[in-house]
Amino acid sequence: MAEVIKTSELTAADWDAMTDAELDVMERRIAGKYMHMVPWGAVAWGLGNCLVWIALWPLVFVGYLPLWLGFIIATLNVALSYLPSHEAQHNIIAGEGKPLRWLNELVGHVSTIPLVYPYRMLRYTHYEHHKHTNDPDRDPDFNVHANSDWHFLGKSILNRQPESARSDAYPETLKRTGNGHMILDGVIYQAIYLVILFTLAWTGHAIEAALLWWLPKHIAITYIEYYLSWAPHHPGDEKGRYRDTRAFKSYWGNILSMGMQYHIIHHLYPRIPLSKTPAAYREMKPILERKGCELGTLEH
Amino acid sequence: MEKLITLIFSPIAFAIGFLTPLIAQVCLAMAWIDHPPIAYSLGFIIAIGFGLMAQFRGSWLWLKS
Repeated sequence: MAEVIKTSELTAADWDAMTDAELDVMERRIAGKYMHMVPWGAVAWGLGNCLVWIALWPLVFVGYLPLWLGFIIATLNVALSYLPSHEAQHNIIAGEGKPLRWLNELVGHVSTIPLVYPYRMLRYTHYEHHKHTNDPDRDPDFNVHANSDWHFLGKSILNRQPESARSDAYPETLKRTGNGHMILDGVIYQAIYLVILFTLAWTGHAIEAALLWWLPKHIAITYIEYYLSWAPHHPGDEKGRYRDTRAFKSYWGNILSMGMQYHIIHHLYPRIPLSKTPAAYREMKPILERKGCELGTLEH
Repeated sequence: MEKLITLIFSPIAFAIGFLTPLIAQVCLAMAWIDHPPIAYSLGFIIAIGFGLMAQFRGSWLWLKS
């Protein structure tokens, strides 16, 4: 197909006239326009967000910041801590062998410190989520699936109980894929987290520890699982490139849903930065419609 | 080492290490209780109750998935 075709100038009839193979070519060409760029915003977000969260501790402890405000900021910090690492997990900041590879890995490791999840564990379990989306046996995020928003909330709380199958999902995935040694990363992270919590609590700072870390972490995990795992894959009963993820219109808009309205673009082309998925969606929408994707009421 | 890790990760350890002082310090901060020994004793009783349930039933809330 001609290089000069501008997708914005194509009519519905033009799209309908294309064969499946031609649609594939157009899809890849559109995706290519949005890849291979360093998402500097995500770099600043990942590192800055973690620094702000760390700064909250001395600010609250010396009384420069009231604890209630620290709690609100900490909750935002922890909720915002996953996505920059997610960009790094997909090598979007810099792939292997690239000059900025160190920055990719730095963002990946640093940004999820408030969330107490090690980068390597997240990366390799997330790859399995992409490979086996909605597979009950091999998708490590499958047990987040639920029938409705409220069902999700209840399930999310029960998933955090000591004997929940969710607790084993990531370690089991790592073992199955030959990355069992990375479980140690999780053990170390959790051990350090608990030792810090216990130490703070028994030195008279239990409320600060609860409101700057423990409770924000629980709220953030619910929020992240809702928008990154549940909403884009609901109802989660289909597999396949064009059916395992959906576009959806969030009541809270794109920013408060952390850009996940366009998560279908991410599953089709994981190297497209989060900030570019709305533009890629708008351009790719005629193709997605013809490929049978579930796009809900998300127009733009 | 493995036993130490298992101990740190156990619900009982969380109940004693975190929930006990948290409940006590909330009671003191809200002036519900004036005496720290009483606050910490109450914190321990409540926390260990939940901790034992979590340890042996596998859920802090009784309900399980």
